[in-house]
Amino acid sequence: MKGNIIKYAQDNIDTDVIIPGQYLKVHDYAELATHAMEGLDPNFHSKVKNGDFILSGKNFGCGSSREHAPIALSHSGIKAVLALSFARIFYRNAVDGAFLLPIEIEHDAYDGISEGDEVDIDISANEIKNLTKNQTYKMKPFSEIIGKIIAAGGLFKYKPDQD
Amino acid sequence: MGKTLFEKIWESHVVVEKPNNPSLIYIDRHLIHEVTSPQAFDGLRMNNRKVRRPDLTIATMDHNVPTNDRSLPILDQTSAIQIQTLEKNCKDFGITLFDINSPNQGIVHVIGPQLGITLPGSTIVCGDSHTSTHGAFGALALGIGTSDVEHVLASQTIWLEKPKPFEIKIKGKRKNPHAVTAKDIVLSIIKNIGTGGGTGTVIEYRGEGIEDLSMEQRMTICNMSIEAGARAGLIAPDEKTFDYLRGRKYTPKNYESLVEEWREYLKTDNDATFEKQFTLHIDDIAPQVSWGTNPGMTCDVTESVPFPDEFAHGDPNQEKGAEKALNYMNLKPGTPIEDIKIDRVFIGSCTNARLEDLIEASKVVRGQKISPSVRAMVVPGSQMVKKQAEEMGLDKIFIDANFEWREAGCSMCLGMNPDILSPGERCASTSNRNFEGRQGTGGRTHLVSPVMAAAAAIKGHFVDVRKMDLN
Repeated sequence: MKGNIIKYAQDNIDTDVIIPGQYLKVHDYAELATHAMEGLDPNFHSKVKNGDFILSGKNFGCGSSREHAPIALSHSGIKAVLALSFARIFYRNAVDGAFLLPIEIEHDAYDGISEGDEVDIDISANEIKNLTKNQTYKMKPFSEIIGKIIAAGGLFKYKPDQD
Repeated sequence: MGKTLFEKIWESHVVVEKPNNPSLIYIDRHLIHEVTSPQAFDGLRMNNRKVRRPDLTIATMDHNVPTNDRSLPILDQTSAIQIQTLEKNCKDFGITLFDINSPNQGIVHVIGPQLGITLPGSTIVCGDSHTSTHGAFGALALGIGTSDVEHVLASQTIWLEKPKPFEIKIKGKRKNPHAVTAKDIVLSIIKNIGTGGGTGTVIEYRGEGIEDLSMEQRMTICNMSIEAGARAGLIAPDEKTFDYLRGRKYTPKNYESLVEEWREYLKTDNDATFEKQFTLHIDDIAPQVSWGTNPGMTCDVTESVPFPDEFAHGDPNQEKGAEKALNYMNLKPGTPIEDIKIDRVFIGSCTNARLEDLIEASKVVRGQKISPSVRAMVVPGSQMVKKQAEEMGLDKIFIDANFEWREAGCSMCLGMNPDILSPGERCASTSNRNFEGRQGTGGRTHLVSPVMAAAAAIKGHFVDVRKMDLN
């Protein structure tokens, strides 16, 4: 899966800047998307393109359990967030609704990848290739069931093994 | 080898478990509210599913509800629709709802324990991150997103990666327990371990500093576990826990025999091991005030706003974060905390809007007037708290001091109902999050205890509440 990077080189990007509270009443996902990241980067909506990835630091998605956060990013066109670590509720929301891939990375990827770089995420090899800089980084593999939920296309399409 | 309290609750609720994978966990109680449930019910209808256990599901409305006169219509159309939708969903699926006119309405994490819905040793979920509050009763209580809400409605289970047990020991005794509160203990913890310090763990709070606390104070501690990134926070139940829950609306009929079992079983064994540990000594801790834009950016009221490099200890992202926070908060490093003037005061939220919080704050306010430059409000956590406070005459103390005395709800904790800050306004708030825009776009939040908020309302700036007479 290839995409271009929008980089926020900071830790603790919280759910309230990803989608501020006043928009939790909005049920139209297209409208929700127009407010994604509004609390942090008012230009996000004008610069994001379908298929882009976000790159950020530690504890991405901390705070509220609002599923509106991954929904707003997903409907903006974001297919994956690459971060040094994730707040766990955000991580599960992203996976459960198949909104976007939460990819845990190491410092080599965080430091090596720049704004605008084109990267290729290869889940089967647990690798991220930086096509712009011709570098390769490891990503942390998904646990088995998380991988299966992702492969199924979300929690409600996942059928637990009968064994 | 012995087991931790968390492991005992986990093991008694596992439906499916495979090594190195999420487990399927049975849920004893599901609390729902108007904001994170509508899409879940839509999903059930689309797939022609029922609610598996409507008898274990309880609903209320708290996030959106205005906190002014309840006889007035709700002006915000989208809020009104969310509230009507919850009413319809509860009716269609047979779920008990405490609606806006119910005497049991309130913030979901305040009413759960008050109604005896929250029980030791149980698993509780809610589509709200502050579900961790219920851990004060020795319940495993988790915040979940809307997909998981739908999963629990349909199956009464969730898939969950097993968190690691994290021991936080609170040692010592506070010298002035009226001025140095549970809020100051939990803010001190987060200041030390950071907002990601508990990621992937369930915290068990232990030690004499926890045993000394009342149930309401313990709820304040567990409430903010999520602000340290933890999946949940727990405190082993004791006689205070059992006494609190006796005789409430939903307390089980066989309560006394349950208490006997809980007394024996619901504690961490002496030879159990935790994967992570932290100890906080509270003998000398001061009232806390947050200066930045996450709860870890907190200092003593006696200190000054830190310089970003001294805060960061060499971590470039932390330094950048602190610079950005100070810019947003419009604060200069080196400014004494007590010199920071405030415009608004909010005493409320699932962290600090219980009866004890209001009693303690009223001791600061009694016979005084708030600063003329401050607008201050008290929003009780539930209609039951409001009624109890009014029976004690607390409403009069606050109203006489020029506080607004309002109806129960989440109010100004999260900026999605009419109670919000205007851009640039600075607020002393007893809530849990000081994120950018949390209390309204451009609003600036300082997290404090109820007594610190009350003192700031009187003086118009932060003040060390230990200097005031609180008896």
